[in-house]
Amino acid sequence: MNRRVAVTGIGVVAPGGTGTAAFWNLLSEGRTATRGITLFDPAGLRSRIAAECDFDPLAHGLDPELSLHADRYIQFAAVAAGEAVRDSGLDTAAEDPWRVGVSLGSAVGGTTRLEHDYVLVSAGGQRWDVDHRAADPKLHLAFSPSTLASFVAERFGARGPVQTVSTGCTSGLDAVGYAFHTIQEGRADVCIAGASDSPISPITMACFDAIKATSPDNDDPEHASKPFDDRRNGFVMGEGAAVLVLEEYEHARARGAHVYCEIGGYATFGNAYHMTGLTGEGLEMSRAIDSTLDQARLDPTRIDYVNAHGSGTRQNDRHETAAVKRSLGAHAYDTPMSSIKSMVGHSLGAIGAIEVAACVLALQHQVVPPTANYEVPDPECDLDYVPRTARPRKLRNVLSVGSGFGGFQSAVLLTEPAGRTR
Amino acid sequence: MSITELTFEELAALVKQSAGVTVAPEDLRNASDVPFSALGVDSLGLLGIVGELENRHGVALPPDAERSKTPADFLGLVNSTLTTGV
Amino acid sequence: MSTEQPKRAVVTGVGVIAPNGLSADTYWKSVQEGIGVLDRITREGCEHLPLKVAGEVRSFDASTLIEDRFLVQTDRFSHYAMAAASLALDDAGLGRDAPEDPFSVGVVTAAGSGGGEFGQRELQKLWGQGSKFVGPYQSIAWFYAASTGQISIRSGFKGPCGVVASDEAGGLDALAHAARAVRRGTGAVVVGAAEAPLAPYSMVCQLGYPELSTVEEPDRAYRPFTAGASGFVPAEGGAVLVVEDEDRARDRGTAVRAVVAGHGATFTGASRWAESREGLARAIRVALDEAGCAPEEIDVVFADALGVPEADRAEALALADALGAHAARVPVTAPKTGIGRAYCGAPVLDVAAAVLAMEHGLVPPTPNVFDVCHDIDLVVSRARPADLRTALVLSRGLMGSNAALVVRRGDETAR
Repeated sequence: MNRRVAVTGIGVVAPGGTGTAAFWNLLSEGRTATRGITLFDPAGLRSRIAAECDFDPLAHGLDPELSLHADRYIQFAAVAAGEAVRDSGLDTAAEDPWRVGVSLGSAVGGTTRLEHDYVLVSAGGQRWDVDHRAADPKLHLAFSPSTLASFVAERFGARGPVQTVSTGCTSGLDAVGYAFHTIQEGRADVCIAGASDSPISPITMACFDAIKATSPDNDDPEHASKPFDDRRNGFVMGEGAAVLVLEEYEHARARGAHVYCEIGGYATFGNAYHMTGLTGEGLEMSRAIDSTLDQARLDPTRIDYVNAHGSGTRQNDRHETAAVKRSLGAHAYDTPMSSIKSMVGHSLGAIGAIEVAACVLALQHQVVPPTANYEVPDPECDLDYVPRTARPRKLRNVLSVGSGFGGFQSAVLLTEPAGRTR
Repeated sequence: MSITELTFEELAALVKQSAGVTVAPEDLRNASDVPFSALGVDSLGLLGIVGELENRHGVALPPDAERSKTPADFLGLVNSTLTTGV
Repeated sequence: MSTEQPKRAVVTGVGVIAPNGLSADTYWKSVQEGIGVLDRITREGCEHLPLKVAGEVRSFDASTLIEDRFLVQTDRFSHYAMAAASLALDDAGLGRDAPEDPFSVGVVTAAGSGGGEFGQRELQKLWGQGSKFVGPYQSIAWFYAASTGQISIRSGFKGPCGVVASDEAGGLDALAHAARAVRRGTGAVVVGAAEAPLAPYSMVCQLGYPELSTVEEPDRAYRPFTAGASGFVPAEGGAVLVVEDEDRARDRGTAVRAVVAGHGATFTGASRWAESREGLARAIRVALDEAGCAPEEIDVVFADALGVPEADRAEALALADALGAHAARVPVTAPKTGIGRAYCGAPVLDVAAAVLAMEHGLVPPTPNVFDVCHDIDLVVSRARPADLRTALVLSRGLMGSNAALVVRRGDETAR
């Protein structure tokens, strides 16, 4: 028996402003939050730009202990989860804690903290036999990303299934998907679901430099992230978190919660092709899209908006265009498809959840966020990418898709509560 | 800065080191127009080879060196850069 | 579809790369004989660290099982996972080539710490020499999804692919994740976990765990359920299973080794071990319920056996809470005391041992443990013959997750 799964709360920490309102303002105004890196000195790197969060943990209600010791990505998640839970109106103390789960994604977890302490124990990269005495005694909290879900579960009293999901750049979509399954199949009634990453650090920037995946447009950071534009030359690193409160539909109704939308379906497949490369056909992503439509018993022509992965690499944007055309057929040309990475950058594991949050907000406001910086069409990317300006539109069914290193291809379908056909 | 030309012997060693593909130097020489992809060397492997050469010789190779299709193309590109000292 | 019987997820292949064996057979031989292989850590650059004892995978030659082009771009943790996957696929008779329908086979792994040794090497290049010395494989070798991605690519598996990082208990969560994918219609899932936490910087990262044993004598370092319990000893390696739709397995004439029957997962907070009693008991009840299994049907328990007195007590009490009077009768074992805890790999190794124990009708002993100070029937010294039809495997993570998995013997469950 499949239970219905509702979205009842949203929280976002994204570049351009903390909180759902600031996030939606940025998207609906088509502003970009990409800039020269300030979190460390990026001299010597090929890509020295990023979408950074101006984030003050103390101002967002984290106590000084957490502000000092918790990793940045965990602070993001704590603040986003706090906003989502408040927004949902859920009284976590009144819930059966064993029926509340947590499913949070992160691609690189505590690597920023790991790198920070590595420098200390290795005398600046000089020794293999590192000196443990220079390390933070709480370094173990950065060792495994399981700290993320554990920390948020602790904060909100969840005692049900608690897991961290780490499928590279689809982590956020997959974390939402795993939570969807957890509620749908009856293992929990409420799930705090989302993702967080804070990857703007020398090692992560350098590793994407090494494969030329990031944009080198250092002189014009505001316009560096150009998904689907023929001038695109790589993604712009981002950071942030988004968390949703997912709830069994009747559970939400019974407490009179506002239901933003339902999760209509989720699927993920591997492309079994290449750790970083994508085929030109988009077969596996298309298969994921098709599966979500099957689950919701929805005809492809009922899709009103596709929130693209749209990273802005040459390969990705063509791959994805092909995938959407394969699944939606001629309807693809009538379906707006935009990439918010043009504005908030690519925050690796977090972005999938941030994009699902954008979809929920798009449904709420009945507005499609644009693809900023889109100017020059690429003949191989010939869909409607909603250039530069947000667009009011009747939205009932919205897809969010993503691809990740390792070959992951995922899709999440969001539906208006009344839009369900079953 | 070195002005030594990259040889098939060195390229074979780099292919082994960076891409994990074993190919004899004479096979590379005799089949220098066979695409890297047919040898099992992908774009990441070539990026590794390019990075290694740049670090070893202290010069920057042309921006798209890793997109060379064949060993012959790659050697041509690399050697024109190394010997002209751009 | 909806009128059919629910699909059942069965184990058709077992692959192991462990400190005490580089195949399921050699692993079982060591486990059954209670051979302990904990020893002083020998990895370069680790000699001076205050963590002295671990379960190292030794004499493992990755190049005999994995092609060089994969080896150059992966960390040791993926080498173990890929090797174990190959062994499991061979065991299941699936071969290593892409299946006829590539979407019919998925890959799920659990990962605790990723490619730490590879990462340390690249960090050293970055900070010691400069960003241009960071190689192209850092972006795909260190992250937690590396093993799933590489196994999928190497064998052409396009089915649902996933990675859970929910701590040690994540190994059982991954198996449950795979079993659910099978119940939803995927033909088979290659699933498991392998870890490689014994590089210098990775070891530094673990030193803060309050549960870590720093006892320097290998046979005294990890002795759960005794008065001498002094914490746990880390290990590397792990296991990979093939979890398959029962009908598909029977159609292709493959032996059904076991059934993944039920799973439960809860959370009770990092290092609050007394509270894990309730969490573990609840996870056991959920798993039994999903399996349609009465407490009395459990023939053997593979304990989490953390080796922290408070945690050991909580586990013994959780068994009593969940299994009632049967808890005092059911044999309990913890073969991991002979090899250490391979984080997410640990409970998957225990599931492999449970499958083999049921097949051999033997409860393996708990190495290095003799003087049990809790009210459980812990099997020590030598294996105990018993007719084993149903096994319960328990796992807890250092960050607070609890999980239970019920596994049934294959031949008991033909329908």
